[in-house]
Amino acid sequence: MAVLHLSSLTADSPVHSSSSDEFAAFLDAELDSASDVDEVESGEAEGEEEVEDEDNDTGDGDGSIDSSRSKKRKIELIEGAVDPQSSVSRGEPAETSGASMALDVCTHPGVMGGMCIRCGQKVEDESGVAFGYIHKNLRLADDEVARLREKDLKNLLRHRKLILVLDLDHTLLNSTRLADISAEESYLKDQREVLPDALRSNLFKLDWIHMMTKLRPFVHTFLKEASSLFEMYIYTMGERPYALEMAKLLDPGGIYFHSRVIAQSDSTRRHQKGLDVVLGQESAVLILDDTEVVWGKHRENLILMDRYHFFTSSCRQFGLKCKSLSEQKSDENEAEGALASVLEVLQRIHRLFFDPERGDNIMERDVRQVLKTVRKEILKGCKIVFTGVIPIQCQPENHYYWKLAEKLGATFSTEVDESVTHVVSMNDKTEKSRQAVREKKFLVHPRWIEAANYLWRKPPEENFPVSS
Amino acid sequence: MFFHIVLERNMQLHPRHFGRDLREKLVSKLMKDVEGTCSGRHGFIVAITGIESVGKGLIRDGTGFVTFPVKYQCVVFRPFKGEILEAVVTMVNKMGFFAEAGPVQIFVSNHLIPDDMEFQSGDVPNYTTSDGSVKIQKESEVRLKIIGTRVDATEIFCIGTIKDDFLGVISDPGTNA
Repeated sequence: MAVLHLSSLTADSPVHSSSSDEFAAFLDAELDSASDVDEVESGEAEGEEEVEDEDNDTGDGDGSIDSSRSKKRKIELIEGAVDPQSSVSRGEPAETSGASMALDVCTHPGVMGGMCIRCGQKVEDESGVAFGYIHKNLRLADDEVARLREKDLKNLLRHRKLILVLDLDHTLLNSTRLADISAEESYLKDQREVLPDALRSNLFKLDWIHMMTKLRPFVHTFLKEASSLFEMYIYTMGERPYALEMAKLLDPGGIYFHSRVIAQSDSTRRHQKGLDVVLGQESAVLILDDTEVVWGKHRENLILMDRYHFFTSSCRQFGLKCKSLSEQKSDENEAEGALASVLEVLQRIHRLFFDPERGDNIMERDVRQVLKTVRKEILKGCKIVFTGVIPIQCQPENHYYWKLAEKLGATFSTEVDESVTHVVSMNDKTEKSRQAVREKKFLVHPRWIEAANYLWRKPPEENFPVSS
Repeated sequence: MFFHIVLERNMQLHPRHFGRDLREKLVSKLMKDVEGTCSGRHGFIVAITGIESVGKGLIRDGTGFVTFPVKYQCVVFRPFKGEILEAVVTMVNKMGFFAEAGPVQIFVSNHLIPDDMEFQSGDVPNYTTSDGSVKIQKESEVRLKIIGTRVDATEIFCIGTIKDDFLGVISDPGTNA
């Protein structure tokens, strides 16, 4: 059917026509019978049926019903995916085979630029989830998202990969506006030539967006190693142009992220991040982020990161009084920094997930379970007594530090007895604190638990003394 | 499909251009203004090939600008539903792939890629048949059929399919390189 039109178009196309009116008239005529090429003419889309009816009529008129049937069926096949409505409205129940009916009904799995991605029809529907980061006008129905995820999961697992969603600011890098650079760190801007190589190669001045960005130490190694185990997404609360600019710094070759850069405007809920815009099964997704609250529904997938503050403005923003790394002219340790330790965790989780010893079906495994197990081993064997930490009116089991320590695999006691290993205290004057010192138990500040959570191992107790 | 047609446009010209180069100024401004633009009716204006006529100028009150009606010949490109096009793949993802035929962007969803082709992620994402004989990746040339079009002010966007006879890869950058 479409081919017929094409040939008619070429036969009398006004290549040498000298008048635009003539061309327009020709186009109008063509559009009347051909298609809804654009919104202006979309009102005339019904035209197609007429032509087909003519086609059928002539076929029947010949009296050779068989040939007309086969011809029609062929037309349907060619056109099956193109225009489902016309064949429905044609009114020929006897001749429409079941197969072509099935082809004709399109569920509109997705819409791009107002057109169904499967049948090309105009769709006004605004339902489904927008995937603006893949294409600005793309929306996908929930069924289609589920189908893609299912398909994707098989593919991923076959390649022994999981999905990793990465936050930008304070996780992989730290940025500041040029205007916010303090006097003490202005050497970064003004004396670029004399900076040490390691710093210079990771420090970028982006004049066109008025930003300066410092990549976190180890980030290149991290991405390289992680890319062999994970399919990686960037998911930031920043704006899209900023996100793309950062992606370019992190991935100059464009091999890690491709089009998988999600920015603030792509989220379906304001001030929240969600895995609903990630085309991956939740049971295979891990998230690295420094902010827990934005991941309302997906905390089980989250690996919380220690914030990376390189610039003074970043420290100020979070109310930190101490000097920034830039002012101290130092930086996070490359080999022992947060990214290096989290990479080990990721490798470990990956290994456990794909452990050939496991007997269960790989499709049913859940990375969240693995994450939980790995986390439980951090403070395994530690029996903790809290003193001067949890207010008396608070149910101890609901307190933040209790819950955190529990997640990390610690056990608890209310009295300092033989089996207790750590006494966590804000104050070394309490009875239990003194008892801990007497009985040579570790006496640590609650920050020790937080540090364990970030470091993914038991931090050295002597670094967390309890002050009076 | 390409058409060679005559279009008309009213050009406003600043008085400072009134001199012996007036006509050249008019033509270069016309080219700057219309080449690369789209209209729903005619499609994408690829290039101006000649000036048919320049009408009488009309001085605008107050500004001194003059409006000339200019008739010009140009080549336009407009995709039609059902048209077969050859296009270059620009991006491949698990949803399908994007391709470009000149100014026209075309999306082929994985519903409209033959069922035996599967998405392969990796450094160069691609769609490959199970035996690996056919591969669609960035820079591949494909022959596809348009099944839906949408024309905006500056771009034409199409939905295409390669799930039909004689459609698909026509050259593979991997083997040609």
